[in-house]
Amino acid sequence: VNSLLSAGLILLLGFVGARLLKLVRLPSVTAFLIVGILIGPQLLNLVTPEIFASSEFFSNLVLGLIAFSLGENFRLDKLRLGMRQVMWISLSAALFAWVLVSAGLIIYFISIKMPIYPAIVLGAAASATAPAATVLVIREYRASGVLTELLLKVVAIDDAWCLIFAAMAIAVGNAMRADVFQLSIVFAGLGEIFGALLLGGVLGYLSSKLSRYVRTSEELLVYTLGLLFLDVGLSIAMGVSVLLSAMMMGLILVNIARENYKFFEVLRSVDTPLYLAFFILSGAHLDFGVLYRMGLAGILYVVLRTIGKVYGAKFGARISNAPKTAEDWLGLSLAPQAGVALGVGLVAKVTFPDYGNYIFTIIAATSVVFELVGPLLTKYSLIKAGEISSSE
Amino acid sequence: LNLIPLKIMNASDFASNFVLGIIAFTLGANFSVQAIKAAGKPVIWISVLEAAFAWIIVTLVMVLYHSLNGLPIHPAFVLGAAAAATAPAATVMVIREYRASGPVTDMLLRVVAIDDAWCLIFSALAITTANALRLGVFSSVVLFEAFYEVFAALLLGAGLGAVFYLLSRFIMTVEEVLVIVIGSILLAVGLATKLGLSPLLTNMTFGLVVANIVRNNDLFFEKLRNVDMIFFLGFFVLVGANLEIHLLPKVGVMGVLYIIFRVVGKFIGVRLGSMVSKAGENVSKYLAWGLVPQAGVALGVALSAKALYPQYGEVIFTTITATTVIYELVGPLCTKYGLRKAGEI
Repeated sequence: VNSLLSAGLILLLGFVGARLLKLVRLPSVTAFLIVGILIGPQLLNLVTPEIFASSEFFSNLVLGLIAFSLGENFRLDKLRLGMRQVMWISLSAALFAWVLVSAGLIIYFISIKMPIYPAIVLGAAASATAPAATVLVIREYRASGVLTELLLKVVAIDDAWCLIFAAMAIAVGNAMRADVFQLSIVFAGLGEIFGALLLGGVLGYLSSKLSRYVRTSEELLVYTLGLLFLDVGLSIAMGVSVLLSAMMMGLILVNIARENYKFFEVLRSVDTPLYLAFFILSGAHLDFGVLYRMGLAGILYVVLRTIGKVYGAKFGARISNAPKTAEDWLGLSLAPQAGVALGVGLVAKVTFPDYGNYIFTIIAATSVVFELVGPLLTKYSLIKAGEISSSE
Repeated sequence: LNLIPLKIMNASDFASNFVLGIIAFTLGANFSVQAIKAAGKPVIWISVLEAAFAWIIVTLVMVLYHSLNGLPIHPAFVLGAAAAATAPAATVMVIREYRASGPVTDMLLRVVAIDDAWCLIFSALAITTANALRLGVFSSVVLFEAFYEVFAALLLGAGLGAVFYLLSRFIMTVEEVLVIVIGSILLAVGLATKLGLSPLLTNMTFGLVVANIVRNNDLFFEKLRNVDMIFFLGFFVLVGANLEIHLLPKVGVMGVLYIIFRVVGKFIGVRLGSMVSKAGENVSKYLAWGLVPQAGVALGVALSAKALYPQYGEVIFTTITATTVIYELVGPLCTKYGLRKAGEI
């Protein structure tokens, strides 16, 4: 199988798979992942090494694309009131997940006489969500309503909380292992966030100013994609968060000038193949071997993270007087977990020679679970909240 | 500046094949029954003949040049085939800029729209022939092989068209259109490469079948037009980055011969074509000026030749890239000159 053939099969089988699984009412995201698993190295092996090698490039681009489009939801003139709710809900959903998962795992680790710092890092990873899967479910079923609006904003910013928590957790973990508390790690985490916001802001501003040289809609597409590549590339080069800088770029663009909605529109017309390929490649990457190794800790993680999200969101919604549907259903719709959590796992793997691998395995395994089940839960919550029409 | 990492350079093979696939697929649509009817006899005659003459004359000159210099002659065939192509985009730009209108302008637009398609057919034949020659023996077996390859490519394209027809009935949203189109083009190029057939011919047949049997096929081509600029832009920048500047002096004489005789071929072809189809005098005299520009498709032919036989491909590729640059500079001026002479500007 050559790479061109492989790429063609990815797109076409993705389409066919989504169509078939729609018959049993599975969201396309899940269908793409399943197709990915089928054609991945463990089964049919239709993905060539070259395409596999390109998937890092690809997933960075798609995450940037998703985050950028999420930025569009933050129109400040429409936002003022809602922002308080978004902050409360996202913070408390992330925090509850962290605290619950950490607490549960600390008890477990003490009982099996293991050091407890991995529990703290794992908890921080549990606070992350998966914007891409969430957005795709919303889009596929054309969900709309207060819950959907809040959800789009919460998934856009809660990864910032995750980054802060993860930086703190890793600093604490280091302190417990080696008795040195490196404040610099916490600052590095903050730097990652503010650097990203700054980069995205500057690029957003410049691109809005330069956009008057863009004439045709074809040029606009080239321009927008080019910007996105630039932003993602610079973020990686500077070591700041790709998600946050792309979101910030979108946020600045949408607030700086009315007509900037065209940037988002032009991307929407072409992004479907990118998402499809992204999820199929993610599916091909899923390693089921780790599921056997996740053990009781993994199960605890899955259960406690879900409970943490549900009650955290409930608490945040109640405090900030958010609508009742958000209180009831927002937490569950935050279930998907993917790349951001894996990123925490990767850092842990590098930082902690003793338990780093263990941490990574748990995160990878639970991500398999949440990636497959998460979109279903998001869909379910949106249906229950009455924001997806019942015919779907 | 070295801003292009090796990874992207490596991907350029993938990208160029894909872009060629898109070009060929779009060109195939020109042969829908509807389009041919609309074009009319003179357009068909003129386009075939100007393309064929550019091909034949350049090939002959190149064969002569190569054999005089004691070089193997098969690159000549490919160079000739590339000479058949023109540059629709450049032509349209000139026409728009000067608001030209009249019979010659009309004819010119229709001719440039389809002669690239002829170019692809010729180059598929030329590349097969060149391959056969390279293998040394020119027996009936080789000839049979060549025919088989062309035929198989047609068959594959048609088969994919049929599959596409089936798939297209399940499309529900506009977004999915793009997935299917891009996916099938990739599949077509991939399968053709795997089976050792011409990806150009395969995709052209594929496009032709789609244009003729799939309902609402305009939508597919239109969606593709919306996005193809990104691919083309990336593609041409990579072509530039791939260019081996040190080869330029080596292709000097060849390049000059190519430039001159391609234009000669175009002029003879247009004259003959107008005679056969009884097109007007102005067309016969001035149309050829509008066919001087050369762009993407010629480069595409060069690239696929390069992929097929790296040894000589390098020289072919450099010649065509260099001449394309020159034609791109001079060509629009020629088009303008021709249209002005014809009194349509």
